[in-house]
This record gives sequence, C-alpha cells and structure tokens, in this order.
Amino acid sequence: MIAQEAQYRDWMLAALTGDASAYRMLLEGLTRHLRSYYARRLDPGAAEDAVQETLIAIHVRRATYEPALPFTAWVYGIARYKLIDEYRRSKRHATVSLEEASDLFSHDATEVALARRDVSKLLAKLPPAKRQLVKDIKLDGVSVAEVAKRTGLSESAVKVTVHRAIKSLNDELVQNRENRDADR
Amino acid sequence: MRTDELIAQLTGNLDPIRKGTVVRTLSGAILLGLAGSILVMLTALGLRHDFAAAVISFGMWMKLAYTFALAAVGFWLVERVGRPGAEMTKPGLFLALPVLAIAVLAALQMSAPGANIPVLVLGHSSRVCAFLVALTALPTLAATFWALRRLAPTQLTLAGVGAGLFAGAAGAFVYSFHCTEGAAPFVGLWYTLGILLTAGIGGFLGRFLLRW
Repeated sequence: MIAQEAQYRDWMLAALTGDASAYRMLLEGLTRHLRSYYARRLDPGAAEDAVQETLIAIHVRRATYEPALPFTAWVYGIARYKLIDEYRRSKRHATVSLEEASDLFSHDATEVALARRDVSKLLAKLPPAKRQLVKDIKLDGVSVAEVAKRTGLSESAVKVTVHRAIKSLNDELVQNRENRDADR
Repeated sequence: MRTDELIAQLTGNLDPIRKGTVVRTLSGAILLGLAGSILVMLTALGLRHDFAAAVISFGMWMKLAYTFALAAVGFWLVERVGRPGAEMTKPGLFLALPVLAIAVLAALQMSAPGANIPVLVLGHSSRVCAFLVALTALPTLAATFWALRRLAPTQLTLAGVGAGLFAGAAGAFVYSFHCTEGAAPFVGLWYTLGILLTAGIGGFLGRFLLRW
C-alpha cells in the first residue's frame, strides 16, 4: 500500500462530489509527484508539458476512477500512458517497463521541498534578471514563448541565457566539490 | 500556461460526477451498436426462415445462452479496460466458463450413440459462419470503440481485444437469429472463431483508434 493512498483517495472522492478545495489539494499534491516522475524520464520542456497533459487527463477522465480500486494505481495508469504517448510523439523508441504505482509516489513532498531550498540558495548566486528567467522556465514551467513575450527578448536569447546560467551554476557546483575534496 | 494556473482553472471547473457514469456511457453506445448489428442481420442476412419453430428448440437457446454469457463477461472486460489501473485477470478467466460449458456439451453430443460427427462439426454453413458473425458484430464494435475513447484505456491493444470479444459475442448473439445451426460442436467451434476474429480486428485497430 502506498503511503499517500488513503489521503489522495479521500480528496478524490470529495472532488467527485464537487469539493473544489479537496480537488486543489489533490492536484497540487499529484503535481509534485508527476514533476519528479517526468523529470526523470523526459527532457525538461517536455516534462512540464507532460505534467499538464496528465493533470488535464485526470480532470477530463475523472469519471473513470472507480472508488473500489486504488486511486494511486489509477493515477499511475494515466501518468504512464501519457509518458508512452510522449515517447510516441517524439518518435523515441523506449520501452516503459511495467513499474509499480509506487514508483510515481516514492518521491514525496519533503524531498521536493529540500531540493527547492537547495535550488533557491544556488539561484541566489545569479544576477536578478537571469535568476528570474531560470526560475520561470526551469521551476515554474512557464513556456519559453511566454517569457520571451514578457521580457521582450527573442526565444533563442531566452534559451541561450537560461542554458548559460545553468551551466555556470553547474560549474560552480563542480568547483565547490573539487575545492572540498582538495581540502580533505 | 503555468501549471499552477492550470490547476486553478481545473479546480474552478469542477462539476460533480454522477455515480455509474462509465456504465451509462458504455450502455448507451452499446445499445446503439446492437441496433446496428440487428439491422445488419435483418437486412443483409435475414431472420431464419423457421424462426417460429426454432424459438422453442434447444439449439437456439444454447446459442443464445453461450453468446450471452460471453457478451456479459465481455462487457465487464470493456468496463474495466476503460479504467486505468484496473486488474484484468479475473474477467479474463471468467471467459473460460462458457467456453468450457459448450466444450463439454459438444463432447457429449459427439459421443452420443449414432452421432454423425462431420455434420455436428461442419453443419452446412461452416465456411461463412465466422465471417458473418464478425460482419454482424461490426456496428457493435464501432460503438464500443466510440464509448471506450470517452473512458481512459491505457493499454490500447488489450482494450481493442476486449472490445472485440464483447462485440463479437454480442454479434454472435444477434447472428443466432439468422443461423439455423443448432449443434454444440458447430457453435463451440465456428461461433467462437467468429468472436475471436472480431477480437483480432479490435486488437489490431485498438492501437490506432483508441488513442486519447
């Protein structure tokens, strides 16, 4: 039994009767699992799209959830289907092994929160303008086109800036690790 | 769109779901499909000429019971295959029960004294039976696919096979009103082949037609 099963199932049952606040908590919780699930399997841009597609599928197909069956298995079935769909669209030939639903739910909110804290510490090292770009695109899932429109930069400029910023952060991390290793 | 905006939008657009929505979607579509299959049987094939006499024959009721049982399990399969995460083994195993029953009946009929085995197995329509069953099933297959696309099948080939098994069995039920055969070996072999043929068609088409 997956730890979140009872809580998510309660929220889902409430949502099916029209309880919007339970539904919001459900979708927000699921988003965290879905992000980490797709991030481990897809390119960053495609991953956030897949999260949104899955949320929409959950919404549109919510009548197919049968309360007698585990809710986490239902969500996992949809998430896996959307992953295969994405592979098919990108013509990538990959096999999706028959993992368990637990694979989707093993990455929980605390882990994400800790990772977020680390990330925001790291981001603080960037100049504010760059920081905002990275945050919008890599963390909040805003599309490149939207950011370009808002900032007045071209799409490729946005992509290049984000790419360089990530690279500089990455170099810094490597540098830190080397310094630390040298100190020992 | 940002994901949190999407969530806000979905949350603001939340209608309560009535219980039994899936079964209603399926039943509605399937009733239409069955009407189509009956129309094919009545117009393209024709009601059997000895219908009045056949209504009280054992052979007729055996065919109806066999195909009805398969269609009932098939409906159950379709209902599950449209729900992500539902386990399929149990309804799959239940399919074996009617097949086993007709196999036993066929064996009894063939081992009866004076049984003419070639006639029991081949009847007079063995060459067309399976194809006509599949033909009769096509409108129901189309309707079942239409309904399944509104559910959430996640294993498309399996979903297509399930839809084909159901539609094949429903088609065979309807076809029973045209066909004058009444021997268990014939029904157990050729009707079953017709149902499997429909399941094969469904399995092949599922990948293409059931995407959502």
